[in-house]
Amino acid sequence: MASRWQGPALVVLRTLVGWHFLYEGYYKLALPGWSPAGAPLPAWSAAGYLRAATGPFAAGFHALAGSAAAQWIDVAIPIALIAIGLSLILGLFTTRGCQGAALLLALFYVAAIPFDGVPQAGVEGTYLIVNKTLIELAAVVVLLTSRTGTIAGLDLLRQRNVKA
Amino acid sequence: MHLTPEEQATGRRNFLRAIAGVPVVAGLGAAALARGPITGGPVRVGYIGVGGEGRVLLGGTDPAYARVVAMADINPAQLALADAVLEKGGHTTKAVHYAEWREMIQKESLEGVVIATPLWSHADIVVGCLEAGLHVLCEKMMAWDVAGAERMRATARRTRKILEIGYQRNYNAVYQAAWEGIVKAGVLGDVFLARLAWHRNGNWRRHGEPPAANYDPSAWGYPTWEHLLNWRLYKKYSRGLLAELASHQVNISNWFFGAEPEAVIGTGGIYRFKDGREVDDHIYATFEYPGGRSAVFSTVESNAFERNYEIFYGTKATLLLQGESEAYLFDEATAPGTPAAVAPTGVTVQPKGAGPALTASESRAADAAGRAATSGGATVNADRLAAYKAEVSGFCSAVRAGTPLLCGPDRAIGSAIACITAVEAVAQKARLPIPPPVAQS
Repeated sequence: MASRWQGPALVVLRTLVGWHFLYEGYYKLALPGWSPAGAPLPAWSAAGYLRAATGPFAAGFHALAGSAAAQWIDVAIPIALIAIGLSLILGLFTTRGCQGAALLLALFYVAAIPFDGVPQAGVEGTYLIVNKTLIELAAVVVLLTSRTGTIAGLDLLRQRNVKA
Repeated sequence: MHLTPEEQATGRRNFLRAIAGVPVVAGLGAAALARGPITGGPVRVGYIGVGGEGRVLLGGTDPAYARVVAMADINPAQLALADAVLEKGGHTTKAVHYAEWREMIQKESLEGVVIATPLWSHADIVVGCLEAGLHVLCEKMMAWDVAGAERMRATARRTRKILEIGYQRNYNAVYQAAWEGIVKAGVLGDVFLARLAWHRNGNWRRHGEPPAANYDPSAWGYPTWEHLLNWRLYKKYSRGLLAELASHQVNISNWFFGAEPEAVIGTGGIYRFKDGREVDDHIYATFEYPGGRSAVFSTVESNAFERNYEIFYGTKATLLLQGESEAYLFDEATAPGTPAAVAPTGVTVQPKGAGPALTASESRAADAAGRAATSGGATVNADRLAAYKAEVSGFCSAVRAGTPLLCGPDRAIGSAIACITAVEAVAQKARLPIPPPVAQS
């Protein structure tokens, strides 16, 4: 039987995941810029991530990096991240937001599955198969199956309007 | 300062041991309260004066930090040379050319300017740019006279714009490590004497053709091409070797002593090159600091055996910083000359090498070797040029991210006043008190 804190805890989890998505998207759009320590930060591009992809789908990601679609990916990813972030924070179209989040996280995960089990350059921690991207994906699946939009969020207003 | 190989090895080892664990002061590390990226691309800068020194700074301008929108110089030949430096530095956009700096800052959308013009023009240009709302990186020395330096400092304060003075040693990792790991840490003990030497063997006079046969720089205050080409040799434009060389080193003794000199004793004259120049070719000056400390400066244009260095003699150890790239630390117990440190073979004579006889632009061996300073060259020079690059990048970071700078007007004015006073002391062969900077509220 679920505790009475389950609902609020799920909403908190949804908000945190939403903030993560929102800031990742904002940061990418904010570039080029400068770090607070005064170092220039170049414009963001998915190309580096795609080129560095490993695992069973690596060839597909590598091809994307060099394709004409690359420039669209650079625009679409930040916008999608922001849209998903707002959806999860506000609890608006929550199911769609969770689906989008799960899709992106799955793509991010399969592009760089940690098979080596040793620390990687530029990545904190040590992972084998399970990394934080996969855990966040699992968290989003939990949110998706919990319909947190019906606990708290603008989806509640939307549903009332539909009923009215 | 010539050391035997054994002395060099010992000194280097001591220095490295002393600074071990000292993080290099990046100059860019700022405790910014704001988090997240600061928006904006490279800082839009204009260059005013792209002669030898200006082009060194231009070569140290990283396109990731700055976009050189425009350049102003009264000599069109310098602008053409500067274009090549920009291209070589990976700048993809061409800078617009101007003869007049005022026209440049009026017409272009700039955030900052880098000024490397003859000394006498610093104050007017810096104040004009600050008043126009621009941040300024101005090549040393700060100004031709104390009034000009004070005007620059007051204007920067009033306009709340950045004014950084280009003493590149402040951005040199060797000096930063020496300060943090040795001087500040008290490794030297009590220091009563510093020696500042800049010895060269050659003529400071430059030779060059005007950009056109009918080129006339009189509109800018230079009655002939010769006056522009050799402005450093004329009192109207220059303060001579004290401004061009000593001010670098006095800036370091001010830094390491944590004080400014109170008086200066000077002598010198035009002893070798009696060719119509107005500034001395041999100068000896002793700067007196509070607490019985002295910095003894000498510069000669008749012998390059000792090259240039700063030595701080402490009761516990001696620190030698040579040529902006070498550092040695000698414990008093094993210092050169003491029985433990004398090489078994006795006197060691070191060849002078095939280096330049005289630096053409005061402070860079790169020019003296006949190369453009931006062309790379020997490893020893690469370290110096890295300091220039850190200086320009630091200026841009300060403009965009508000990070602290290392040689603002409050610091730079100390060496300027000391060296300007020293010019008078040398002329009078006298001891003169050095006035403190005007207190600012």
